[in-house]
Amino acid sequence: MTPDSTRRRAFIQITLLSISFAVLVLISLASVFLMQKAREDSAWVSHTLEVENQISLAQLQMRRAESLERGFLLTGQPEFIEDFQSSAAEVSPMLRRLQELVADNPVQRPLIDKAIPLAETRLAKFKELIALAQVDRAEEARQVVRNESGREAMNQFASYMTAMRAEENRLFVMRTAAADRSQSLASIVTTTGSGLVLVLAAFSIFLVRRSARARDDAESLLRENNLNLESTVSERTADLREANEEIQRFAYIVSHDLRSPLVNIMGFTSELEELRGDIFRRIATLSREVAEKQMPENADSDGEPELEAADQQLSEDFTEALGFIKSSIGKMDRLISAILNLTREGRRQFQPVPIDTRELIENIVSTVAHQAAEANAEIRIEPLPEIVSDRLALEQIFSNLVDNALKYLKDGVPGDIRIRGRQKLGFAIFEIADNGRGIDPKDHQRIFDLFRRAGTQDKPGQGIGLAHVRALVRRLGGTMSVSSALGEGSTFTITLPMKWTTATNRESRS
Amino acid sequence: MSNPVTIIMIEDDEGHARLIERNIRRSGVNNEIIPFTSGTAALNYLFGPDGSGVEHQNRALLVLLDLNLPDTSGIDILRRIKENDHLKCTPVVVLTTTDDAQEIKRCYELGCNVYITKPVNYESFANAIRQLGLFFSVIQVPQTEAT
Repeated sequence: MTPDSTRRRAFIQITLLSISFAVLVLISLASVFLMQKAREDSAWVSHTLEVENQISLAQLQMRRAESLERGFLLTGQPEFIEDFQSSAAEVSPMLRRLQELVADNPVQRPLIDKAIPLAETRLAKFKELIALAQVDRAEEARQVVRNESGREAMNQFASYMTAMRAEENRLFVMRTAAADRSQSLASIVTTTGSGLVLVLAAFSIFLVRRSARARDDAESLLRENNLNLESTVSERTADLREANEEIQRFAYIVSHDLRSPLVNIMGFTSELEELRGDIFRRIATLSREVAEKQMPENADSDGEPELEAADQQLSEDFTEALGFIKSSIGKMDRLISAILNLTREGRRQFQPVPIDTRELIENIVSTVAHQAAEANAEIRIEPLPEIVSDRLALEQIFSNLVDNALKYLKDGVPGDIRIRGRQKLGFAIFEIADNGRGIDPKDHQRIFDLFRRAGTQDKPGQGIGLAHVRALVRRLGGTMSVSSALGEGSTFTITLPMKWTTATNRESRS
Repeated sequence: MSNPVTIIMIEDDEGHARLIERNIRRSGVNNEIIPFTSGTAALNYLFGPDGSGVEHQNRALLVLLDLNLPDTSGIDILRRIKENDHLKCTPVVVLTTTDDAQEIKRCYELGCNVYITKPVNYESFANAIRQLGLFFSVIQVPQTEAT
């Protein structure tokens, strides 16, 4: 799986999940909204029903009031009056209530506005006739009833009420339909929403499972890679170790085998030197013999035979050539010995022992006390951490560095060499600082190379010390560095593990 | 060295052989020196065509042996000399460049009589060989054993 497709897949997954969440939210909002609407619609429907009910009640009370009035006029029984009064009292509040209910309806408002005065007039008329009948003028009252247009007024009122009812019926039908619509819409939305949620949930589960599977695959791949990596690393380190051992062996064999011819060269050069003496003595003898033959009176046969000027020159040239050969051989011999010693050191097994570093360095300093006094140098040792390491290796490291510090002091300036130490994160850090001639920063790398030196070459040396020191520090699992500038002294910093064991040795060598 | 001890010199480097011979002569040793530059040639001479070494019986021999030979290992030659019934009393002087402690120990275990590391410096080399020559002039060498 390419990282690109993985990214795309993750993007799709996130998008889908956010979409489903958005849909869910939308559905919930829509459901809430539609529910609200359905409730409102139902409220409207019940409002309509109430209005209709109110209309019916008002009409009923109106008719009841009328029939009670008629009943009283006909029979003169006082019970009618009581009932009439209670009915008449209800009509007006009912109509007022109706008026309130339909206040928002422009169709109903004029109707109720007309119906109310009509009803009130009618009721006033009923009361008037009842009052007439009560004072024994029933006949007169009945006459009035017969003549007046009461019937028409009642019909008018009834027609208002019918119109209102019709309007309410129309509204009822409309509102019921609306309520039905919103309810069914709500249920549709809810159902679809639930379905959608289920689908999305299923899809999400699918996606999650797929990504989980992808993750498992990636994990197993990673585990496999790790294993591979480990085996690759151990393979490589084995290769490296082998290569390192080969180099060591190679260096050893080369230096060893170079020595045999060198012994010959040295040997025969010495032989030549002896031969040289013989040859030139012989030349001198011969030339003297010749001279004696030519000028016997000048003969001086007692003294040592002497060379003529030209032969003297030859002899000197011969000696000079031999001298160069011998000095080169000497140099080569020292280099080869150095390589041999290095390879021998490289093969030595380290023995970790607890070391009182300060005491160790004090011992080193006491062995160079004479040189230090000669160079007018003071060596100061500050408290140093104790570590577990190889004693001989540490001795070599510090004595090389102290030697160097003493060797490369500035002329005419009293030397000040300080050895400091501290601990940090399981490592001991040692600093050997001097106020000597310093090292040009461009040579900082060079000085650690075998047979390389820096600065004025006025001191004897092969360029091995620092290479050797660095090799030892590395074998001890540490690092070393230098900070210096020309004329400003140098500080060599060595970082070594506080506790070096043969296990770490194997590890670092492997 | 009491005559007639023959010195068998096994040394692959002819220059070394010559220098060794010269320096031994300088210390006044005039015994016969038979040089061999390969292990095979030396073995052929020492053990003869049948490999028994019988032809050297009743002779006094001294072997000067280099360990680093191109064809056989000097250690092998040492072992065969010390295992041979006729030659086992022959003194063997190992003269080699190796100063490996293991190697030295091994040679003495196999019965080498003297182990000398060739000094790297020629002066010391010449000096060592001359002293070896002086040593040769005073030691007694047994005759090889008869069967």
